[in-house]
Amino acid sequence: MKNPGKIRSARYIGKQDESLSREMPSQGIWTGTVSFSLVAIPVRLVKAVEPGRVSFHLLHTKDYSPLERKMFCPEEEKMVPSEEIIRGFEIEPGKHVVVTDEELESVSPDRSRTIEIAEFIDIKEVDPIYYDHPYFLVPLKGGEKSYRLLAESMQRTKRAGLAKFVLDDRECIVLITSRDGALAASTLHYRDEILSGDAMAPAIDGASDEEENIMKKKIKGMMTDFAPERYSNDRRKRLLDMINKKVKKRAEVEAPEVGEEEETEGMADLMTALEKSMHKVKKSR
Amino acid sequence: MGSTIWIGNIQFSDVNVPVKLHTAVSQNRVQFHLLHRTDRAKLRQQMICRFDKAPVPAEEQAKGFQVDDRKYILIDPEEFEQAEPESSRIIDVHEFVKTGGIDPIFVEHVYYLEPDSSNRSYNALAAALKDMDAQGVCTWVMRKRAYFGALQSAGRILRLNVLRYSDEIVQAKSLGLEAFELSEKEVNIGSELINKLTVKFKPEKYVNEHQKKLREMIEKKAVGKKIALFTPKHLKPTKPSKLLEALEKSLKKAA
Repeated sequence: MKNPGKIRSARYIGKQDESLSREMPSQGIWTGTVSFSLVAIPVRLVKAVEPGRVSFHLLHTKDYSPLERKMFCPEEEKMVPSEEIIRGFEIEPGKHVVVTDEELESVSPDRSRTIEIAEFIDIKEVDPIYYDHPYFLVPLKGGEKSYRLLAESMQRTKRAGLAKFVLDDRECIVLITSRDGALAASTLHYRDEILSGDAMAPAIDGASDEEENIMKKKIKGMMTDFAPERYSNDRRKRLLDMINKKVKKRAEVEAPEVGEEEETEGMADLMTALEKSMHKVKKSR
Repeated sequence: MGSTIWIGNIQFSDVNVPVKLHTAVSQNRVQFHLLHRTDRAKLRQQMICRFDKAPVPAEEQAKGFQVDDRKYILIDPEEFEQAEPESSRIIDVHEFVKTGGIDPIFVEHVYYLEPDSSNRSYNALAAALKDMDAQGVCTWVMRKRAYFGALQSAGRILRLNVLRYSDEIVQAKSLGLEAFELSEKEVNIGSELINKLTVKFKPEKYVNEHQKKLREMIEKKAVGKKIALFTPKHLKPTKPSKLLEALEKSLKKAA
């Protein structure tokens, strides 16, 4: 590289949007159909949050070569390739029942490839405590029109669809909402997973009306609109500042070269990670 | 009620409310292990050096930030420590917003707050937030991590919702969805259908049947019984040209 004293920021930041839109659809976590009444829409599930961590690589201090996470069999004392890895449930110490993908899918075959919206609700009735993990649904070929119709109709009625589906080995309640023209899918916690806070409630006779009124006055003076972009993760900024300083001092180390075929795949991910980190810091400044 | 996770003080203006954090959600799920097919041994993760293809012990591992092809900047544990936020016991409330003002997509995790020593200020704050339909936007440092959150009232208790930073949330426009023309008639029928299928939100109606069935299946296998395999149900996508027809039929069905 011609200019090693600089993180290749500008070039990659410029590419950010392009690489994101190209990359997003391929990151499907789940594919299937979302349906309401007699309308079925082929979709793919993608992440709606990207943890904004600065990503680091574990290196070997002897040669600065990157480390790879591998599964190791303690019995045979050797690395195990992915095709030799199976899933087991421990019924007693050291004794497992093996469960295959097909068996797992057979547990709830009605829900492993379909999200059937049976009812709609008013979004405002859902306490935020129920929200677990947010995703987006992206239409597959041919589903774009009915996808748009569901998004538009829910937007207009301010409703959200409720369904259950199986993601990996877990059955989730899912809330389908309309979000800026897209369908968002948030998994919800089950009612019995929400613990009761009743035991924490303090004695009623704890505060007077006067105290409450003083409190209200103070709150009123601090009321504003929610502007989440004002808050950012400072640790990330500090880490990237530190890295930039070290880059200027040319304090980098170099890893030895290894076989081409392994390298190429890893590199694409690594570069995206760097680009993302740089982009995020720039935005939050 | 779960055990205390952390103890802190809610602060704004001259208000100081000492609280204890408790978990509000508990998940219980079937946990699987990864096994080796040939000998059923439980597998362990191991870090392997890409160059000499051998396991690397923890004391020979370092963290590096990649700046170029095969080039890294090493960061020492002391340097990571310097980037850590200063530890504190203050839950600093910066401003208040309306309860509906925070999109639930931001909510990552929820804690219940129990009053620690003073009930008076706790009660006054919970009652005021409830009455004003307000929540406090706050930041705090817990276990060497900086958090951003929303302080709310839930009945008579206070709750602290951990929020995601806004730059961690993927924007719908990045999905690259194409605009699609819909007729007014289609949207009208779609909306009417949704209204007809709308009910009150009753979370207790939804129970995790899958978890129970999964445990039953494992028990069956444990005693050597054969498991029946089913193909997942697939729905046939509605063709764009048949959308209006499907909507009309749905509406009739819902009536």
